[in-house]
Amino acid sequence: MRFLKGLKSLAACTALAAGIMAAGNTAGAADKHKIFLSMSYIGNDWQAEAANMVKAMAAHKSMVDKVDLQVQVAGPNAQRQIQQINAMVQAGAEAIVIYPISPTALNSVIKNACDKGVKIFAYDGDISEPCAHNISIDQTEAGRVTAEWLAQKLNGKGDIVMITGVPGTSVDDLRTKAAKDVFAKYPDIKIVGEAVGMWSQAVARTELSKITATRSWDQINGLWTQVGCYTANAMQLESGKTPEQLLPCAGEGSNGGRIQMLPVGTEVEGAASPYAPLGAQRISYASPPYSGALALKLAVAALEGQDVPKRVTLPLPIVTNETVKLCNEGTWEEMKAGCNAFLPSLVSNPGWFGSIFSEQTPEIGLAAALVGQPEP
Amino acid sequence: MKAAPSSSGAPVGRLLARHRGVLIAAIVFLVLLGTVDLISAGPLTYFDIAFLSSGGATSALAAIGQTIVILSGGFDLSAGAVISLVNVVLARSMDPMDMEASVVLWTAVGIGIGMLTGAFNGFFIAFLRLQPIVVTLSTMFIIQGVTLLVMDKPGGAVAPSLGTFYLGDAVTGWLPMPLVVIGVVLLAWLWLKNTRLGTAIYAVGSDADAAAAAGVRVAWVRFLVYVIAGGCYGLAGVFISAQTGSGDPLVGNPLLLAMFAAVVVGGTRLGGGRGGPLGSAIGAYILMIVVNILLVLNVSAYYSTIAEGAILILAVLAGSVSRQSVLARQLRMLGTRLSARQAGTLVSQLRQDDRRLALQRDARPRGAAERPSLFVRNAEILRYALPAYICFVIVVVVTQAWLGGAILNPGYWNSLIVLSCFLAILALGQGTVILTGGLDLSVPWTIGLCGIILAGMVKGSDAALLYALPAVLLLACVIGLVNGLGIVFLGLSPIVMTLATNGLLQGAALLYSNGTPDGFSSPMLRWFMTGKIGVFAPVVLFMALFVIAAVTLLGRTPFGRRVYGIGNGVRAAELSGIAVGRTLVLVYMLSALCSGLVGVLLTGFSGQASLGMGDDYLLPSIAVVVVGGALITGGRGHYLGMLGGVLLLTGLQTLLAGTTLPYATRAILFGLVVLGAVIALRDKKT
Repeated sequence: MRFLKGLKSLAACTALAAGIMAAGNTAGAADKHKIFLSMSYIGNDWQAEAANMVKAMAAHKSMVDKVDLQVQVAGPNAQRQIQQINAMVQAGAEAIVIYPISPTALNSVIKNACDKGVKIFAYDGDISEPCAHNISIDQTEAGRVTAEWLAQKLNGKGDIVMITGVPGTSVDDLRTKAAKDVFAKYPDIKIVGEAVGMWSQAVARTELSKITATRSWDQINGLWTQVGCYTANAMQLESGKTPEQLLPCAGEGSNGGRIQMLPVGTEVEGAASPYAPLGAQRISYASPPYSGALALKLAVAALEGQDVPKRVTLPLPIVTNETVKLCNEGTWEEMKAGCNAFLPSLVSNPGWFGSIFSEQTPEIGLAAALVGQPEP
Repeated sequence: MKAAPSSSGAPVGRLLARHRGVLIAAIVFLVLLGTVDLISAGPLTYFDIAFLSSGGATSALAAIGQTIVILSGGFDLSAGAVISLVNVVLARSMDPMDMEASVVLWTAVGIGIGMLTGAFNGFFIAFLRLQPIVVTLSTMFIIQGVTLLVMDKPGGAVAPSLGTFYLGDAVTGWLPMPLVVIGVVLLAWLWLKNTRLGTAIYAVGSDADAAAAAGVRVAWVRFLVYVIAGGCYGLAGVFISAQTGSGDPLVGNPLLLAMFAAVVVGGTRLGGGRGGPLGSAIGAYILMIVVNILLVLNVSAYYSTIAEGAILILAVLAGSVSRQSVLARQLRMLGTRLSARQAGTLVSQLRQDDRRLALQRDARPRGAAERPSLFVRNAEILRYALPAYICFVIVVVVTQAWLGGAILNPGYWNSLIVLSCFLAILALGQGTVILTGGLDLSVPWTIGLCGIILAGMVKGSDAALLYALPAVLLLACVIGLVNGLGIVFLGLSPIVMTLATNGLLQGAALLYSNGTPDGFSSPMLRWFMTGKIGVFAPVVLFMALFVIAAVTLLGRTPFGRRVYGIGNGVRAAELSGIAVGRTLVLVYMLSALCSGLVGVLLTGFSGQASLGMGDDYLLPSIAVVVVGGALITGGRGHYLGMLGGVLLLTGLQTLLAGTTLPYATRAILFGLVVLGAVIALRDKKT
């Protein structure tokens, strides 16, 4: 199936390429902006989804004549990203969109790029060099809002487990500290377990298995995770809990988690437990994977002479049981009308990140995040 | 061997032959540089060279240190962590407002920190005679913890004077400073090499016993090697601080694997005795310029790891093209075989008569000498396997005392065994590879690719599992076959070959999944991992069978005996009639099969597959094998010992996860316990 789909898209690409070449003779590539994307490690779900959305943005009909986008991967190594950005500047980049591996290590190379007139746009993580544009959510707010939600759900009393992100990163530090500051205000809330979840459902499962090896689910009242609510709910079902008994969980914006938030009995195509409506008590937040695509759009706007702010704080994509709503197709129009969870028959990976809607990016919808195809 | 170089022959030729590794690395580098120059838009300017020289300097400096360790027959996994530590210490303690901060002083601080960690490593390795890989792995965890205590997130600032000095020009417009720094280090090495210590380092790396017999104080040489190497990592840390102008506690960690690749590309042999730091420095630059090549060729993101893997293999292959190379020898042997077949003199074409000498049977009555007791016969296994189990028991008791609900709680044991099963299976594969003296670095993406393909084929259907499971395991075998063939027939070092394969597999997984792995495990597979028969998950019963099979495979079959034979000496094994090549290929297939099985089980455990799901299993898979008493250079180790290592590590992680200790403290404790466990393993004084 996938192979056929691949073949089809390949055929489409070839046709498209032929078309572009034919058109290219008249349009000429000279007036296209040369923009590079320097990604980090591509081997995880969030990064791959974000890359798809950037590619879709560049392929949208409003962009395709303006942008010559080259995507390069630096891996997890900040040294290589430094080298890569230098090479991009040398290769004549007008703008560079960056997923920064480190908020600080890139400062000097980025300063150097800015000095040469290259526009720098960082998405998701921040770069502390002042000449760079930063497009991301407020991580402190994310930690605070979700922790407050959990504290209220528990009426300020109970034993909770925390699953954090990658230790040593700013994002993890800001979120976790903000959440702990909130919990510290409630003397009856006790953190009884804290595990490093590395922003991965698979790691969350092994860590939660270790915690529940010595502490049963009955001895836990709630969870605060950065990624892991979907898995925590699945594990509670496996241990014999009913959907009504699921613990309140503040956590990530994975589509699996969103589907679990729908009331039990909701008709959902392709659902199979635990990727099914459970009425789970949740607040769902995420670093939205569309930020890279938005960064590209803003970079083009800046190159066209528009005034783009240095700091774009994205609205925190928060979904609760009250606001969760199923999409039928996942077009941008439909999401604008307020839907925020996708059918498992369309998104078969429950760990896939669901926060893909932005007011500012009508060019990209579900197809962009899944296969890199822009909205028509 | 046959034709000794004639003494009157050109000394230039001899010189070339001696430095072949370095020369070829340099040629490969120049070819790559020329390629970049040729394809990119403008000609290479001084600025390009200056950028390139600063871009690769950190890796080059660290690789020089690593090379010295490897020359002495060691191995250092703590290098990346030391770089991070120096970086955060400098970023925390330097005053960014102090424009005149002393370069000499802070460089000395960095090198000093590096040498201190090196002394720590060296003490345990040289004087307590512990295995380098496990000591430096423990140190890596401890240093990572300390680094996070110094600075728990990126920040701080390094005084600009450091950056001005290290990134500036030595001769304006002609010679960038990073090259001078590397040059100075290499000159220092050149001086050291010609001292008694330098000779001793090569001697210890070639044959420690012979060196000791010749009067070299082996322990002191080893100790100093780690201190010197630590100094190099420290300097690399200073350089990266100057380059980035700030601190990041994770900055050095990803440099580790690239460092080993740089060493091997530079012509140094893992295991010691041959090669040198100059080649490694060039190797580091080769790996760095690949970034530029990918950019000018506009290799798309999904293909970049594939391209890198291919370049790595080609670079190393180019270095080994000669009449003496393994590939050439294999081809010659193939030719010989073919002509023998035509002449009808191939062994398999001869008549299969029993041509053994008719020896007189030993007439003495058997059983006269009493068979030694079970304990005596297995004393060596016990000596190396027991420490892990003893530590495991201690960990369980501490868990009971600290957290409660352990010893009498079947749920605890169930979780422990389920969590152990992944590492226990990997331990068989990685352990067998290590027994032959190799290393399999393709574990992470063999797990990832197999899991992703399984989930994609199964899509929640039990019926599909019936054909998907064999298909995926077959794929794993093919991956292992590729590894094995590369190592045996192309003569690539296992580290290079499996590292490259890992990159190829990552690219394959991304292409297959389009970045979004779909599908999920079937109910039966999920039940197998998370369901219950009584109090235990079905996989617990499977593990019991697996352990029996693994012990039998390594201990009671001809295959197992061949593995140990190869580990104890390839030449000796060859001469005793072991088909070394065929056995090695099988060993790598076994390892890939184990990784593939883990991919399947992880998919069942998590319910779905995700990219990067195998990333956290590489270093632990090596650690458990060594903690379980196996010798990293091969030939010694028992599966039951490795199993003890698995239980110890999993038990320890379960204990730490149940506490609310900060991550930094946990990392330090983890390192200390592993180190403590292996102190009991130390070799008797020879």
